[in-house]
Amino acid sequence: MKGGAIKLFLVVVGINIFFAYIGLYFLPQSQSLPPKTIKIEKGIPQDELIAVGESIIFGKGQCMVCHPMKPETGMRAPAIATIGAEMVKSAKERNMPVEAYVFEALVNPSSYIQKGFENMMPPVHKPPTSLTEGELIAVSAFLQSKGSNITINYPDSVPVLQEEITKEAKKGGSG
Amino acid sequence: MSDVSVKKGLAKGLIKLTVLLGIGFIFLLLLGKILPAPTEDGYRLFPVIGSRVWVWIIAQLHLNFAAFVLGVPIFAVSMEYLSWRRKDDRLDRIAYDFTKLFTLAYTITASIGTVLLISLPLLYPKFIDHMMRILGPTWWLYIAFMYVEVIVCYYYYYSWHKMKDKKGAHVAIGGLLNIMGTIMLLITSAWVGYMTTPGGVSETGELVNRWQAVKTFMWIPLSLHRLVANVVFGAGIAAAYAAYRFIASETDEDRAYYDWMGYTSAMISIGFSLLLPGVGYLLGVEIYSFNEQMGIQLMGGFFAWLWVMQAILIGAILMFVNYYLWISLNKMPGGERYFKYVKFLFIIMLLGYAVWLTPHSVALSLDEARKMGTYHPVLGNLGVMAAKNTAVVITYLATFLSFAIFKMSNKESVVSWVKLGNALRGLIVVGSSVIMLAIGVYSYMVTSSVRVKVLSPIQFGIFFLAIIALFILDAKMFKGAKIIGEPRWGKMPERSQYALIGITVTFTWLMGMMGYMRSGGRQYWHVYGIMKDTSVDAFLPTHGYAAVITSIVTVIFYALMGFLFYGIMKLEKKGGQGGAKA
Repeated sequence: MKGGAIKLFLVVVGINIFFAYIGLYFLPQSQSLPPKTIKIEKGIPQDELIAVGESIIFGKGQCMVCHPMKPETGMRAPAIATIGAEMVKSAKERNMPVEAYVFEALVNPSSYIQKGFENMMPPVHKPPTSLTEGELIAVSAFLQSKGSNITINYPDSVPVLQEEITKEAKKGGSG
Repeated sequence: MSDVSVKKGLAKGLIKLTVLLGIGFIFLLLLGKILPAPTEDGYRLFPVIGSRVWVWIIAQLHLNFAAFVLGVPIFAVSMEYLSWRRKDDRLDRIAYDFTKLFTLAYTITASIGTVLLISLPLLYPKFIDHMMRILGPTWWLYIAFMYVEVIVCYYYYYSWHKMKDKKGAHVAIGGLLNIMGTIMLLITSAWVGYMTTPGGVSETGELVNRWQAVKTFMWIPLSLHRLVANVVFGAGIAAAYAAYRFIASETDEDRAYYDWMGYTSAMISIGFSLLLPGVGYLLGVEIYSFNEQMGIQLMGGFFAWLWVMQAILIGAILMFVNYYLWISLNKMPGGERYFKYVKFLFIIMLLGYAVWLTPHSVALSLDEARKMGTYHPVLGNLGVMAAKNTAVVITYLATFLSFAIFKMSNKESVVSWVKLGNALRGLIVVGSSVIMLAIGVYSYMVTSSVRVKVLSPIQFGIFFLAIIALFILDAKMFKGAKIIGEPRWGKMPERSQYALIGITVTFTWLMGMMGYMRSGGRQYWHVYGIMKDTSVDAFLPTHGYAAVITSIVTVIFYALMGFLFYGIMKLEKKGGQGGAKA
C-alpha cells in the first residue's frame, strides 16, 4: 500500500514536472512589462515622430491585437498598410478635415464605424491604454504615413486633438 | 468519526471556524503593528519569494480546496437522491464517501483561507482598502454565509446515519448546503468580477453604485463557469481518491467498489466538462462586451501561447479519458468486439489534437510582425478559431464514442431494428462530423462576428444534438438487451488508475493556468482601468515562470490531498463507520 501511494505521488510530481518543462522550454519566454510614457520633444522631426508612432502601434497601444498589417479575410479591424489612404477617403465622405478624422478615430472611435466593421475600439486616451497627447499625435502621424500625406506634427496638431478629446468627454465617453 | 453526535459535530465545526477567523484577525492586528509600515504606494514585500508569488500560491491553493468543497456536494447530494429513489446502497455509500471527503476538506480550506486573510491586507493594504470601500459589506455577508454553510455541512455529514430513515429530509439538507455554497461562490466571483470588469465606480475609483460594482459583466458568467468547473474538479478529485484507494485496497471487494467509484466519478467529471466550452464562451462574450481589447488580449495577445498550453492540457485529459475507457473494455465481457475501433478513434484524437494546439496570432517582435503580419503564413490557417472549434467538437465526439462503446460493449441488442439502428448511429456520427467540418470551412469565409456569434454556437449545438441523439438511440436499442456478462469491476490493471490520476492532476494544472490568465488579463492593474498596480511585480512573468508556479501549487495541493486521503483511511481503520466497511 505504501509503495502504491509513493508511486502515485511520483506520478503526480512527474506530470507536474512535464508541464513545467513544456512551459519552460516549448513556449516563447518574454515578459509583458507595463508601458512607459514616451516623452516626445516639441518640434520632433517627422520621421522620428512616425517611428515613435510605429513603436506604440506594436507596443503600448496594442493595436496589432485587432488590426492586421495587411488586409486579411475576416479581419476584425482595418489593415494598417492602407489605413492612411482609407482615412483620407472617409474624411472626404464625411466632409471633415483629415487631421480631425484621424484624431476622432483614436479618441472617439464609436462616432464613425467603417463599413464592414463593428464598434469595438476603445478610446485610447483613456485607461487602460492611456496614450498621452504626444503619443496620440505620433500614432496619428504613423497612420497617415500609410498611404497619405503626413500633415500631423507635434505640437502644432495639439489643439485639433484637444478639440476631439473635448467632444468625446461631452458625449459622455465609453471608456 | 461518525460516532460523534450531531450536536458535538456541529460544535466542532463552529469552534474550528471561529478559532481560525480569530487567529486570522489577531495575526492581522499584531503583524500590522509589528511589521514596518507599507511603502508610500501601499505595498509590503513578502520575504524571499515576493508578495505576488506568495499570494499566488496561497490564493490558488485556497481556490482549489474551495472548488472541491463546493463542487463535490453537488454530486454527493445527487447520488444520495438517486440512492434514495432507487433504494441502491452502493450509491448511498459513494455519496457518503464523497461527503466524508468534503467535510474533512473544509478544515484545510478554512486554514488556507485564514493565511490568505492575513496575507492580503498586510501585503496589499491600499488595494484591500479600496476593495473594502467598494465591496466591504459583501465580505461580512461572506463570513455570515460561511457560518451557515459550516452548520449545514456538518449537520449533513454527522446526521447521515441518524437520518437514514428520513432520506428525503436529509437530501433536502444537502440541497440547502449546495444553495449556501452557490451563494458563497457568487460573492467571491463578484470580487474577481469587479477587479477584472469593474462597474459602479467613477473613473477615479469612487463608489457610485454598489450593486453595479457587484453586478459586473463578468459576475454571472464567471460564477457559472466556476460552478460547472467545480463539479468537474470535485468529481475528478473523487476519482483520484478512488484510484488511491483502489491501489491501496487489500481485498477484491474493495477493489471492485473503488474501481466503480473511480469510473463513476471520472464520467461525471468528463460529462460536466462538456458544458465548459459553452459557459467559457459566455464568459468570453461578456469580457469582449466589457472591453474588446481585453478580450482579444486574453485570447490572442500575450496569452496566445497559453491557449496552446490549454489545448495541450485538454487534449491530454481527453487522451487519458479515452485510454482509460479503452483499457476498461477489457473488464467488459464482449468488450473485445470493439477493440478494432480503438485505432481509428486514436487517429481522430491525434489529428484533432494537432490542429487544436496550433497557435493563433502570437506575441511578435516588431521585425517578425513586419515580415509576416499577424498570423503565421502556413500554420495561421489551422491556428484560427474556424479550425480549432472544428477540431474540438470532433475530438469530443470521438471521446463520447469511446464512452458509448464502453457502455454497450457487454450487451447485445435484441430489438428487431438492430440493422436500422446501427445505420442510424453511423449516419448521426458521419453526418454530424461532415456538417461540423463544413461549418468549419465556411467559417473562414465570414466575418469574425458571424463566426463567433453564429457559427461557433451552431457547431457546438450540432455536437450536443449528435450526442443526445446517440444517447437516446442507444437507450432504445439496448432496452432489455441481452447481457453478455456483468462488468468485472476491480479487474483493471494498475496503470488504468494512473490514467484517472492523470485526468485530475492535468485538470488541476489547467485550473491553475487559466486562473493565472484570467488574473493576468488585468495586466498592470489591480482593478482594470481604475487602480494601477505600481508594485515591483506589476508585469506579467514569462510563461515558463507561470508554468513552474502552477506546478508547485499543484504538487502542494496533491500533497495536502494525500494527507487528507491518508487521514480518512486511518480513521476508518480505527473503527469509524463509512468508507469501505460501511
